[in-house]
Amino acid sequence: MAAWGCRLLSRGESLLRGARFIVSRSAPTAESSVIGVQFVRTIKSSTWWDEHLSEENSSFLRELIPEEYNSQTASKLNPLKDEPWPRHQWEKGSSRVGLVALKLGMMPIWTKSAERQVVTMLQVLDCHVIKYLPKEEYDGRAPALIVGGKNVSPFYRSEEDMEVFRNAGVPPKQKMTTFKVSDNAILKPGTPLYAAHFRPGQYVDITARTIGKGFQGVMKKHGFKGQPASHGQTKTHRRPGASGPGGDPAKVWKGKKMPGRMGNVFSTTHGLKVWRVNTKHNVIYVSGSVPGHRNCLVKVRDTILRKHLEAIQNPPFPTFFADGDEELPEDLYDEDLFQFGEPSVSLA
Amino acid sequence: MAACAWSVSTAMCSLRASQGKHNRFLSTSLLRLASGADSGQTPKFKPPTKPVILDKSDTEIPVRRFVSPEFIPPRQRTNPLKFALERKDMLKRRTMLKIPEFYVGSILAVTMSDPHASEKTNRFVGICIQRSGNGLGATFILIIDGQGVEICYELYNPRIQQVEVLKMEKRLDDNLLYLRDALPEYSTVDVNMKPVPSSISGEVHLNALKVRMKPKPWSKCWERPKYNVQGIRFDLRLSPEKMEEAQKWAQPWLEYDMLKEYVILSSMEDIHWREVQEETCK
Repeated sequence: MAAWGCRLLSRGESLLRGARFIVSRSAPTAESSVIGVQFVRTIKSSTWWDEHLSEENSSFLRELIPEEYNSQTASKLNPLKDEPWPRHQWEKGSSRVGLVALKLGMMPIWTKSAERQVVTMLQVLDCHVIKYLPKEEYDGRAPALIVGGKNVSPFYRSEEDMEVFRNAGVPPKQKMTTFKVSDNAILKPGTPLYAAHFRPGQYVDITARTIGKGFQGVMKKHGFKGQPASHGQTKTHRRPGASGPGGDPAKVWKGKKMPGRMGNVFSTTHGLKVWRVNTKHNVIYVSGSVPGHRNCLVKVRDTILRKHLEAIQNPPFPTFFADGDEELPEDLYDEDLFQFGEPSVSLA
Repeated sequence: MAACAWSVSTAMCSLRASQGKHNRFLSTSLLRLASGADSGQTPKFKPPTKPVILDKSDTEIPVRRFVSPEFIPPRQRTNPLKFALERKDMLKRRTMLKIPEFYVGSILAVTMSDPHASEKTNRFVGICIQRSGNGLGATFILIIDGQGVEICYELYNPRIQQVEVLKMEKRLDDNLLYLRDALPEYSTVDVNMKPVPSSISGEVHLNALKVRMKPKPWSKCWERPKYNVQGIRFDLRLSPEKMEEAQKWAQPWLEYDMLKEYVILSSMEDIHWREVQEETCK
């Protein structure tokens, strides 16, 4: 779809005289006029969602859609009304689905022996299973589940993307990730996931995009030592030095650590302990720091570290279902954790 | 003539008023006689009502509202839920440990459990020279006598057994880190000090003490405008030329930087104050 746009340039005469070249062919003798007219041909292949709606209609939609989505997210049942999928029992070696969570920030906690630890708070926000990929469609070895987190506006999504969410009966999501699961841990699309999926005492791996640092030198990026500040150094204090041997290979080896863009890549932190889970606000308290900036969406899953696998004993399988009979307290604590309602610790 | 009449009338008024006031002393017997003459019987003795002394000059001062600074969330783009969850834990801790109101410059005694101490607890007395941090990570630093000892306490550490305020006062500055470079007498406190009572209403007592410093070098250039120190006698250590030179580091435009402005609303303080009251009065 091509459209002719018309730009009116109203400027002072002096400006116009300086910018004579922008006056278009249709009005070549516009030197004396104050207003210059320019025709620009633009190609538009799509339209804004509210381009053909009246103002009342678009404002009505803006109010209606969030309400609808909130009600969808608030319900703890699967929106799809067909038959529920069978639930299997936990076996050793089966891998569960993970979650998408929002990084809230960090705070200190203390253990029962009054040792200080820092934890990162991760909020599980509108987390749903979006799609089930059977073995054949994924990699031929294991099925996978696509999980999404944090509702967003549907107005700026393409029709193909919206189709996926509509099939699951959930609002569109900001972040989607794939989890490889075992055959007995598959979930029906549309199933809501909660923070109680993880229990205090177990260990998790967290993947997120790290904070971008821009173009950095080797000292910051790779931890090179640099050169001394004095003793005859000229313009060589933070430089990499030699980049390899000379005559024999006569080249720089591939993968040589060089200056360049730092951060803004996906990284995983392994083996973080879950200290506490808030079931009301769906917050997981995970030990230590987590990649990514504040308010970024991270991927949380059961750890793959062998030494921490024993801590995962009989977890909620395939996930925690809020519509079940299990009544959880508001806060689940690790047994080593000092709870703030307890009296002060006296060390003997 | 009119003026004269006015003055007479006012004089009469004041006379009448004074009579009314001293009624009991001047004309009680007269009144009694008059009333007795009317009824014809000896009237019963009525004791005069006890006068109530009201001191109008002493107006009532409300109880001071104090919100611990760690309750005020910092200015950043963090989900408010994070601070709400933290405050919940802080209030829970405050039900078990009474954290009193105190300021930078107050003298505190902190009892902390310590497995290496002989009685398993330590009690330190010192001047609070800094309060920092927010949320559960809030800390305060005590400077303990002139031996170069400072202890940084975490306010919500479960090892803290008791926090006592021995003397509640404020100083001229909100940060007394310059006591590190002051003469040792200014950071020396009597360990066996008895608590000084202080009122819970009105303004906190301001100790306008100005300290004398050790000779330079100091840990920081306290004369620079960045620190805005009021409580140092600079005239004893620095020449006027040096003081003039320190003004080179002034950044007077910063106070007009609207991006750095962070107004702590009184409504925000009110909310936190009420929260603390509700939780501790349960």
